[in-house]
Amino acid sequence: MDINQQHRFKTRIGAALRHITLFVAMSIICIPGLWIVLNSFRPTVDIMAKPPVWVPRGLNLDNYRAMFGGAGEGGVPVVQYFTNSLIISVTSTVIAILIGMAGGYAFARYRFRGKSAIFIGLLLTRAVPGVALSLPLFIVMAKTGLIDTHVGLIMVYVAMNVPFTIWLIDGFFRQVPPDLAEAAEIDGCTRWQAFWKVEFPVAKSGVASAGIFAFLTSWNEYALASQLTRSTFSKTMPVGLRDFTSEFTINWGGMCALAVLMIIPALILTFLVQKHLIAGLTFGGVKG
Amino acid sequence: MAQVQLENVTKNYGNLEVVHGINLDIAHNEFVVLVGPSGCGKSTTLRMIAGLEEISAGDISIGGQIVNDMPPRDRNISMVFQNYALYPHMTVRENLGFSLQIAGKPPAEIARAVGEAAGILSLDDYLDRKPSELSGGQRQRVAMGRAIVRHPDVFLFDEPLSNLDAKLRAQMRVEIKKLHQKIQTTVIYVTHDQVEAMTLADRIVIMRDGNVEQQGTPNEVFERPVNTFVATFIGSPPMNLLPGRVTGGALVFARGFTVPVPHNFAQLVAEGQEIVLGFRADNMMPEGHALNMDEASPAIEMAVIVSEPLGTETLLYTELAGQEVQAKMLKPRPVADREVLTFHLDLAQCHLFDAKTQNTLR
Amino acid sequence: MSKIKLPTWFVLILPAILILVAVVLIPLLLSLYSSFTPYRLTRPDSLYKWIGTYNYEKAAKSWVFWSAFGRTVLLLTIALNLEMLLGLGLALLVSRVTRGQRALRTVMMFPMMFSPILVGFQFKFIFNDNVGLVNNALQSLGLTTAAIPWLVDQKLAMFSIIFAEVWSSTSVFAILILAGLFAIPKDPLEAAKVDGCTPWQTFRHITLPFLMPFIYIALAIRSLDVARAYDIVNIMTNGGPARRTELLWTLIGRTGYVDAKMGYANAMGYVSIFMAIFFTIFFFKKLSAARAELGMGG
Repeated sequence: MDINQQHRFKTRIGAALRHITLFVAMSIICIPGLWIVLNSFRPTVDIMAKPPVWVPRGLNLDNYRAMFGGAGEGGVPVVQYFTNSLIISVTSTVIAILIGMAGGYAFARYRFRGKSAIFIGLLLTRAVPGVALSLPLFIVMAKTGLIDTHVGLIMVYVAMNVPFTIWLIDGFFRQVPPDLAEAAEIDGCTRWQAFWKVEFPVAKSGVASAGIFAFLTSWNEYALASQLTRSTFSKTMPVGLRDFTSEFTINWGGMCALAVLMIIPALILTFLVQKHLIAGLTFGGVKG
Repeated sequence: MAQVQLENVTKNYGNLEVVHGINLDIAHNEFVVLVGPSGCGKSTTLRMIAGLEEISAGDISIGGQIVNDMPPRDRNISMVFQNYALYPHMTVRENLGFSLQIAGKPPAEIARAVGEAAGILSLDDYLDRKPSELSGGQRQRVAMGRAIVRHPDVFLFDEPLSNLDAKLRAQMRVEIKKLHQKIQTTVIYVTHDQVEAMTLADRIVIMRDGNVEQQGTPNEVFERPVNTFVATFIGSPPMNLLPGRVTGGALVFARGFTVPVPHNFAQLVAEGQEIVLGFRADNMMPEGHALNMDEASPAIEMAVIVSEPLGTETLLYTELAGQEVQAKMLKPRPVADREVLTFHLDLAQCHLFDAKTQNTLR
Repeated sequence: MSKIKLPTWFVLILPAILILVAVVLIPLLLSLYSSFTPYRLTRPDSLYKWIGTYNYEKAAKSWVFWSAFGRTVLLLTIALNLEMLLGLGLALLVSRVTRGQRALRTVMMFPMMFSPILVGFQFKFIFNDNVGLVNNALQSLGLTTAAIPWLVDQKLAMFSIIFAEVWSSTSVFAILILAGLFAIPKDPLEAAKVDGCTPWQTFRHITLPFLMPFIYIALAIRSLDVARAYDIVNIMTNGGPARRTELLWTLIGRTGYVDAKMGYANAMGYVSIFMAIFFTIFFFKKLSAARAELGMGG
């Protein structure tokens, strides 16, 4: 085999290997999620069957119906949990964005003493593990009567989201040339007007992705929620799922349905913002 | 046996063929320049020779060995990139010695080779700097140094001077030529600048739209262009072209301008043939400010639209046969706007092209 | 009345600082204080008794504590290294694909959308010894007839947890590294090819140095979230059975809420806080060093 044929051969083998490996990797990524979705449509009988039933026969929405009907799947009030999660996540996101915009803008546009120290301090608060923070928070909130309330959890989530939101928004505002606001001011705007009319619209997409990031963090949070909520009054979806698994270890179908419900908003939002998420992470990191 | 040989080399991108079966034979130690406008396929061809692009059809041989599928590292070539492609995280010394380090050469030999290259290109003072600390011209020299360190069979240059300012470009042109004299190796050089091509090449290959229009020495392509494209591409300012017709033994152009058929072409034209007359600015000069002409045309009176004084000569823009043409004025004096001068055209230096094929009549 | 003029930046940052002080700083101080007390939820006035470093000494002497600590460090080290290597490999593979790359990138993002609780649930289901996908598949393929106790046996359970954790976070690395790969200027790579490098050499000498900042960014971001493992372990095994998969965080949770030994739990909590902060600062320092190496900007 002459040397050119050798090289051609090597290239083809390399390409084939690469494709196979990629296929395997993508399968590992997709299969668990798909398996859960699939099983949420199967009756428990099928799931428990031995020998295992691979080809699903008769998919139905029973599990979903049971979830929403009456007191929910055997006493787990799914609708209530969903609503709680929604209210808490949305509210904490909005507040975190407002605070984040203020803070991010300050870091992007101003110089002041102790800037990097404050910045690092902010980021480090994010590093505190949820469960470790939950202990003293529990004590404080018990004494102030905030356990098992929306307000309490919202405040906690705002604090959780602010550092990262500031980091992202800082990165995005740095992308906006400062000359824009100066030009607007020369054209007659006050600083406030210049910000809203000129700088904000340009950084809008960044703010949006920071918002979605914050929403997802709140939506998915478990460690703090599990201890700071007590009843269906304020319990969120992650806590609900956890409770479900420990109480009803046989009703896999129902649990899968709950899981699917939990992930749908997250999927939609992440999809919308995937490009910005990546950009946000690398901007925030590289400019950081 | 040619050092580098291209046989019917073709390149497709999907359904689009961008290089159409090129044939080239390049001898050992020859300095060949591929020149042409953007998108003519010259860089693609160079990259195919380097092995950075796949060949869709045809064969490329280096040193007699067909290398179609061989990766660049096995072809024993060096390349100088347009953007220098220096390794930013390495010092100049490490950049120069990188290829030898990869080849596993002993440190002493690497140091010697690096020192040699640095000496030839005057890089000794910069050896410990990083590329970001160097100027454009210095980076260019490091890129060249990196190429010569390996003593390859062929040097490839991909528009290396495009990013430099005019003065530096002129300097580096001379450096490259001196380098070639010192290091007797085959060079294939790509550029869009015909001045670089003319000054550096042993042989010029002019390309357009994936085809070779003409190859030859700088003198050949300047004096005997095969078509109007080559004629206007080579030489600055570009050749003037006037479309006309052969009528009654003379060449007739728009607005009543006529000249006799030049002697060189007397046997080659047919009555009624549509032709294009080509002449360079140096071939049309005003009376009293010209060299002796071999075959001077009758006087032509024209008003000067714009004059560009260049010092030793002035470029005059005038209108002839309804078109703007350029003429040169030697031993110049200031020319007033709209001043009318008497010009002569040197018919012996003119070119005649067939209007339909755009090829030179021969 | 004289008006104090506050600098704009101060006013802008104030809300952030306020909420963080209220929700994080003050509880942290409280936590520190209570770690020096024998505080029990069931006996509220024990909060006011000072016992010095008793809790810390107790933890230092406790086998349960050290095994949980050790297990946590082991889990994190293995997981982070695996995530980095696999993420790198995946990014390299995806970067070479010519068609359908956007689709691949979208698929790569899936694990990031799942909350840790969901990931834990997923694998709790899949690794279940009765109805789990893995055992069912193995049995159907005839590879085994036993029900492998993925979540019960000590070593297998750690494996399952690490698997879940790596599955969940490799994407972060892969996506960041992929972005880094696209940021690498193409010319030096081609020059390396011409200079004689095999693909491996090109990677080692040119690509990798360029990628280091991105790898460190990913490590730093990941280390901020290092406690995600708590959620996963909580739902998969809850530290059990019999503490075989006990991590530092599940131990803290159990001590504080189930055993109600708040003071003790807070002491251990502080240890975990320092560990998390250590990881984070460590990687941020490496990030700065790597960027300086590259002469970022040049």
